[in-house]
Amino acid sequence: MRTSVASFARLRLLRAAAWHVAGAACQNDPVSDLERRLAAYLAGRLPGASRVEVSGLERIPGGASRETSRFVLRFERDGEPVERRLILRRDPPGSLIETDRRVEFAAYRAFHGTPVPVPEALWLEEDPAPLDHPFFIMEELTGLESSFQALLTPAFLPKRARIGQRKWTILGEIAKADPEKLGLVGLMPPAALDACWQRELAYWEHVLDQDELEPQPITRAVIRWLRRNPPPPAQKLSVVHADYRTGNFLFDADGEIRAILDWEMAHLGDPLEDLAWGINAVWQWSREGLAGSLLPKAEAIRIWEAASGLVAEPRALLWWELFSCVKGQGIWVSGGHEYQNGANHDPVLGMSCWMMGNAQDRAALGLLGHLP
Amino acid sequence: MKPDPGHVLERMMQSLVTEIAPAVQPAYRQATVTIHAMMLAAIREEMDRAVARRVEENRALRALFAEAAPRVRDAELRERLAGTAADTDVSLRVPDLDAANLALRALLIELHAHVEALAGEDARRLEAAIWRELAASTERRKLSIAPL
Repeated sequence: MRTSVASFARLRLLRAAAWHVAGAACQNDPVSDLERRLAAYLAGRLPGASRVEVSGLERIPGGASRETSRFVLRFERDGEPVERRLILRRDPPGSLIETDRRVEFAAYRAFHGTPVPVPEALWLEEDPAPLDHPFFIMEELTGLESSFQALLTPAFLPKRARIGQRKWTILGEIAKADPEKLGLVGLMPPAALDACWQRELAYWEHVLDQDELEPQPITRAVIRWLRRNPPPPAQKLSVVHADYRTGNFLFDADGEIRAILDWEMAHLGDPLEDLAWGINAVWQWSREGLAGSLLPKAEAIRIWEAASGLVAEPRALLWWELFSCVKGQGIWVSGGHEYQNGANHDPVLGMSCWMMGNAQDRAALGLLGHLP
Repeated sequence: MKPDPGHVLERMMQSLVTEIAPAVQPAYRQATVTIHAMMLAAIREEMDRAVARRVEENRALRALFAEAAPRVRDAELRERLAGTAADTDVSLRVPDLDAANLALRALLIELHAHVEALAGEDARRLEAAIWRELAASTERRKLSIAPL
């Protein structure tokens, strides 16, 4: 769940400050000490377990808003050794974005065991005492790929259509799911069907207002267009993953998608928001015009419609595709802002602002018919 | 400046990707090194065109403002457009060109919003000219490693 627009600027400042400290804290954390404290915490969460040990704690790329690390948990139960490979997602210190953490954890829990594959979320700890900052732990799924680069290798080129079929089928399942039955309505604020677009547009426009490092004439023109041409009401209120794209799911050697990741921006809204984001041209890394570097756009839409039982009416979808360009630019600009002001030194933020910001403008120009 | 800075950046990028990154652990740090190499590639591309694209764009925007000013109904905006159109880039230092460019692009947003609200074919022609310049501005900034 995202914060309200009114409190967004304050939270961003806090998050930026938190990241500054987090960088130093991360470097100063002796891994063995963190492993020891993690083992102590888990010992209290594993009834009947003895000889609880944590080893191999290692930070891995991904999930930019939190430190993501993998580790191995070993213990004995009833005299038998047990080993589990797990993921630790730890907040930066001082963060007040606990709603994001709760939503991410709740989304993993809600979809586990449904047609939407996700890792099993195991423990959410909001008390900073055990590991200095709040965190949650989930299972690690090993031996899988997630990068778009992998899709372009000879091993996966013949499997891209299969992966695409699964990708948009699963997204259709997310759109079809009932947020009430998933138990997510209390955590994610609902929106009226005819107001989803206004809430999202206001949110991302505010991000741009706060964080842009230079004027964005194309994005500003798109925002004006979006306000002049509002979309029809949402067909239903769905869980919106909000970053459903190639790179945010794990797939195996057979082309089966095994897990959908990165639910931290999830919210309730128009299901077309997710479809439009996933087919945005900036994810066409293979430069073949394939949505998500996987399938032709029309086919992706057809698969999603069949799986969701919903209709991607062209005018409504165009609105959400253009909105995706505003949202994308908001993300790139926001990352660039954090990198430039020194709040976060991760170079991926600066690089994305340069590279993806320009690609996002080109995507918007293409949708509006202004690309030469 | 010799050796040529572009060549130096190219060598640094190659060294980071082929020699240094593979030796760095854990994976998180390795990815960081690789992204720094990508940034060097982008800087090399931008260094070559930095002055040229800014001069070209600033000229194009001033010409657009000169064309637009007589058609603008808001007197204050018309005056600012006409005044800006008469400016030139005295300094060719990138920070100076950048400062001018930011001001010009901010004014372009105002002009674009104003023109959108005007009726008539003349306004539509001007709007089309603005979009052509926006498309050109995107091409000027394009990085060869970008996905689109």
